[in-house]
Amino acid sequence: MSNQTQEKTRTQRELTPHVDIFENDEELLVVADVPGLDPNDIGVHVDLPEFRIEAKVPGSPDRPVVYTRTFRVDERIDPERVKAEYKEGVLRVHLAKSAAFRPRRVAVQSS
Amino acid sequence: MLVRFNDRQAFPVFGSSRSFPASALRRELDRLFGDLERAPTFGVSVSAGPSVQFEDTGDAFRLSAELPGISEKDIDIDVTAKALTIKAARKTEVPEGYTAHRRERQGYSFTRSYELPSQVDPEKVQASLKQGVLTLTLPKVAEVQPKRVTVSASA
Repeated sequence: MSNQTQEKTRTQRELTPHVDIFENDEELLVVADVPGLDPNDIGVHVDLPEFRIEAKVPGSPDRPVVYTRTFRVDERIDPERVKAEYKEGVLRVHLAKSAAFRPRRVAVQSS
Repeated sequence: MLVRFNDRQAFPVFGSSRSFPASALRRELDRLFGDLERAPTFGVSVSAGPSVQFEDTGDAFRLSAELPGISEKDIDIDVTAKALTIKAARKTEVPEGYTAHRRERQGYSFTRSYELPSQVDPEKVQASLKQGVLTLTLPKVAEVQPKRVTVSASA
């Protein structure tokens, strides 16, 4: 997973939130500090191999401010099973791995 | 000796390029200042404490601070008539069973004190914490609240 940067014209002020990225056998977990938002204004877009967080900061409509960050994820993610929760100004996005890529323990049978 | 402008080296800051057309310079400046604009969300300011806004609404002072990942019990606020102290702390940990790929969110522990520009009524101070934003309303004592003076026309 890496940051993807691209040049674009700036029509709005963009803030880059701090994130933590964790992984276990089941999923990738992205945690972002994005305080003071209306949960309805938070967008989590999964368009493999891209994963993007975009959220409008409430306030001045004449000069919009957004939190935005884009990541490249590999294809192991199941786009249908992405869940996000927002609490205490912290966004947690759970990106579940596709079943085929989850490790399975194989029991060795003694003959 | 006469030195033509073009013979000079480009700005040492930009080093590399020999010819430096105006458009490239502008792009470079935009990039530099763009980075500066975003600076508040990076490293230093976060570890040094939260982003705080303070305003005078006339009959009260209002303070708001961005404190993501903090709950009510992690904050202590002390107010006197002339001063305000905020203490807050958070820890960021790797959730159990996970491995970390990237850790930018820092834990912090800070105490900030403010001397208020004029007296407030400590009994009437209100604090709320909503989605990681702490908002404090500190009503001024009646004596220092602005009063409108009506001008009476003399007969």
